[in-house]
Amino acid sequence: MRKIFVAFFLFSAQFARAQELFVFTEPASNMAAKSIGLRLNNYFMKDLHSNRINYHLLPEVMWGVSKNIMIHAEVFLSNEDQRSLIAEGGSLYLKYRLFSIDDVHSHFRVAAFGKYSLNSSYIHQPAIDFYGHSSGYETGVVATQLINKVALSASSSILHATDNGREKFLFGNRNRNAINYTFSIGKLMLPKEYTSYEQTNVNLMLELLGQTTLGNGYSYMDIAPSVQFIFKSRIRLDAGYRHPFIVKLHRTAPAGALLRLEYNIFNAY
Amino acid sequence: MKKLLIIMISLLSVSTQAQITKVSLQASGLTCSMCSNAINKSLKSLDFVDKVEANVKNSTFDISFKPGSKIDFDKLKKKVEDAGFFVARFTASMHFNEVVLQNDNHVTVDGNVFHFLNVKDQVLDGDRTIVLLDKGFVPAKEYKKNNRFTLMECYKTGVAGSCCSKAGLPEGTRIFHVTI
Repeated sequence: MRKIFVAFFLFSAQFARAQELFVFTEPASNMAAKSIGLRLNNYFMKDLHSNRINYHLLPEVMWGVSKNIMIHAEVFLSNEDQRSLIAEGGSLYLKYRLFSIDDVHSHFRVAAFGKYSLNSSYIHQPAIDFYGHSSGYETGVVATQLINKVALSASSSILHATDNGREKFLFGNRNRNAINYTFSIGKLMLPKEYTSYEQTNVNLMLELLGQTTLGNGYSYMDIAPSVQFIFKSRIRLDAGYRHPFIVKLHRTAPAGALLRLEYNIFNAY
Repeated sequence: MKKLLIIMISLLSVSTQAQITKVSLQASGLTCSMCSNAINKSLKSLDFVDKVEANVKNSTFDISFKPGSKIDFDKLKKKVEDAGFFVARFTASMHFNEVVLQNDNHVTVDGNVFHFLNVKDQVLDGDRTIVLLDKGFVPAKEYKKNNRFTLMECYKTGVAGSCCSKAGLPEGTRIFHVTI
């Protein structure tokens, strides 16, 4: 097994550069202290029951508090339950860098994170989703390794869903608890060689996103390829698609696209 | 005559303060241009920094300073760390005026106390580049390895302790451990 891992890492290294600014997950690395990031997350998810595309708009502010702490605040807007876009809630996310081993072009980092989410929308599904569906909290650990410029990241977290206000979670109290697990790999396609901050970077990512409910043990697993463009070393455009391949844990709109625009302000204050 | 003296003194003070002409540092732990830009912007936010020339490919930054400003190596290091990374190599180009150098000994140059390690006893004159060896200025492994060059405790603490009383340094004075 160990040999396979070594072979895999050596093979990965052949691809040369990679990125760890993953699209569907957060890496263990933090953003720079005193920097602010602004995001517009757009989810277009195909509803299995109505066959229409649900649109979720999540404006997000990110703040590098110190080199070890960063915070995200997000607002949830969607047209899932009506024709117009309405605000349904928001979330707070905090990440703390636990440790970091750095070499010139490699690093291994571990961070702990927590998320608190409030949502007033209808509860459609037993799967827990803190990106615009469920209320509750999540806490976990993420580890990211960069070897010879190939980025690999894995995370695991435990989730607890509460009621969405007056909207009750009706899938059994034991199913309020779940575990999330993710695995991500990223590769930088362009530029072939860095010469300036003005160059556009193009990254390809592949991520696995899974959840298992602790009550009945049902799971889902998605595969999520994505492409990322970084302009002028501060503007990021992500386009990704998540496709479910294990669907025992039910979701009403599991497949769909994510389009994200991000702008970074370094030394904002 | 008085005017001439004032001019001479002010010229002298400028020339001593300008002894550190350039700092080059390499950051570790990054391969992305956005990460490099975060360090670049972080370094530029220091009031004594004039220009930062970044090499994205090698994660190196050549830093020049505003004339007459007090240059603080620790603040430069902290800015790299604030951006989420570490310093892997840190060198300073300096102008020396016949500074007598002894291995494993302290010498004060332009208000900075340097502790030279792994060097031959010599007289430094003209433009030279020094390499910082303190904790956080080199990779952790290298810092441990360089431990063999001195028995003095100031290498561990970075400040003057009982080891440095011979040099007449008040306790707590910042000491930069360097080599050539």
